[in-house]
Amino acid sequence: MAVTVLLIDDDREFLDILAERLTIRGMEVTSAASGRAALDLVRAARFNVIVLDLQMPEMDGLQVLERLVALDPAQRIILLTGHATVSRGVHAMKLGAADVLEKPVDIRELVERIKTVASAPRGVGANGQAGQPSGPLQKGRGQGLLQALRGLFKSGR
Amino acid sequence: MSSYHGKVDSLGLSFFGSMTASISHEIKNALAIINENAGLLGDLVALSEKGRPLDPERLQTISDSIRRRVQGADDIVRRLNRFAHSANQPVVTTGIRDILACTVALSERLATMKGVRLLIAAGEEIEVQTLPFVLENLLWICLKNIFLLAGEGQQVVLGAVREESDVVVTLHCTPEIPVEQLETTVATEGQPLIFFLRMQVRADPHNGRLCLHMPLRFIE
Repeated sequence: MAVTVLLIDDDREFLDILAERLTIRGMEVTSAASGRAALDLVRAARFNVIVLDLQMPEMDGLQVLERLVALDPAQRIILLTGHATVSRGVHAMKLGAADVLEKPVDIRELVERIKTVASAPRGVGANGQAGQPSGPLQKGRGQGLLQALRGLFKSGR
Repeated sequence: MSSYHGKVDSLGLSFFGSMTASISHEIKNALAIINENAGLLGDLVALSEKGRPLDPERLQTISDSIRRRVQGADDIVRRLNRFAHSANQPVVTTGIRDILACTVALSERLATMKGVRLLIAAGEEIEVQTLPFVLENLLWICLKNIFLLAGEGQQVVLGAVREESDVVVTLHCTPEIPVEQLETTVATEGQPLIFFLRMQVRADPHNGRLCLHMPLRFIE
C-alpha cells in the first residue's frame, strides 16, 4: 500500500512540485497551504506521515504541530524548515515531531525519512525512538533526538 | 554620550541580526523551490527514459519558475547588500520615502508571518539628513512592537509629512492597535536611538497614529 503523506507549506508552488515528486516515488500525497487547512484535513482523514513547514503565516509550524499532536498524539510528523536551529528542533521534538529536516532537502533523504517514520510503530520517530508528544524529554529518547539534530549541529547551529 | 553610542551600537547589532536572519530565510525558500524544480526536471527526464514522453509545456513552466525564483533571490540579495552597506554609512541626505520603502521591504516577510499588511502612503518625497541605518532601526522597533500588539489582518500605513524644520514619520495603525501603549514601548526600547537622532515619539490616539518627529538636518 502506498504511504499516505500530508504536506503542509504556505508556498503553493513548493507544495505542488514536492507533491508531484513524492507521487512519482509512489506516495499518495495531499497538500495543505495553511495550518488551518491541514487541521481540517487531519480531522477528516488519517495520514501515515505529515511533513510540516516550521515557518508559516497565521499559525506557525510549532503551533500547528501542537494542535496536530493534540488531535492524535501518535501522529508521525516530520518538520521541514528553511532554518532549523538546534533549540527549535529540540523544542519541536519535545512537542512530538519525529524528525527535523532542513530545506533545500534532498528528495532521496526525504523519501527515506518518510518511509522510516511511516514503517515505525505509531509514535516512534525516524530515529527509532518513541516519545510522548509533550512533557519533559524522556530518558533514552535523548540519543535519538541528538541523531536527528546531528545535521543541524554540523551546520553550526 | 559614549554610553549612548554603545547602546545605539548594541541595538544596531540586534537589528542587523534580525534582518539578516529573516533575509537568509527568504533566500533559503527561493533555493528550496529552485532545488525542487531542478529535481523535478531530473524526474521527468528519468521518466522519459522509461517511455513517458516529455511535455514541452511542462518543461517551459518549470524553466519559467526557476527564472522567476532566481530573479526573486537576486532582488533579495540586492536588498541585503543595500542594507549591509547602510550599516556603515555616514550621515547622508536622502529621501525619507526611500528609508520607509527599505524598512518595509526588510520587514515584509515578518509582517506576513504575523498577518500584518504594510503600506506606504502616497506623498511627496522629503529630503532629510540622517543616518539611515539608525532611523531604519528605530522604525523596525516600531514595527516589531506593532507585530506583537497586532492581531491577524491588521494594517500599518507608513508616511511622512513636513512640519516647519521637522519631518514627521507617521505609522497609521488600524484601531485595534493601541498607539499609546506602542508609544511607551517604543520610547523605552528605542530610547538611545531617539536621543541619538534627536527625535520625539508621540502617540496620536485620535488619528490612530504613532508620530516620530525628527529634524530635517542631523544634529551632531
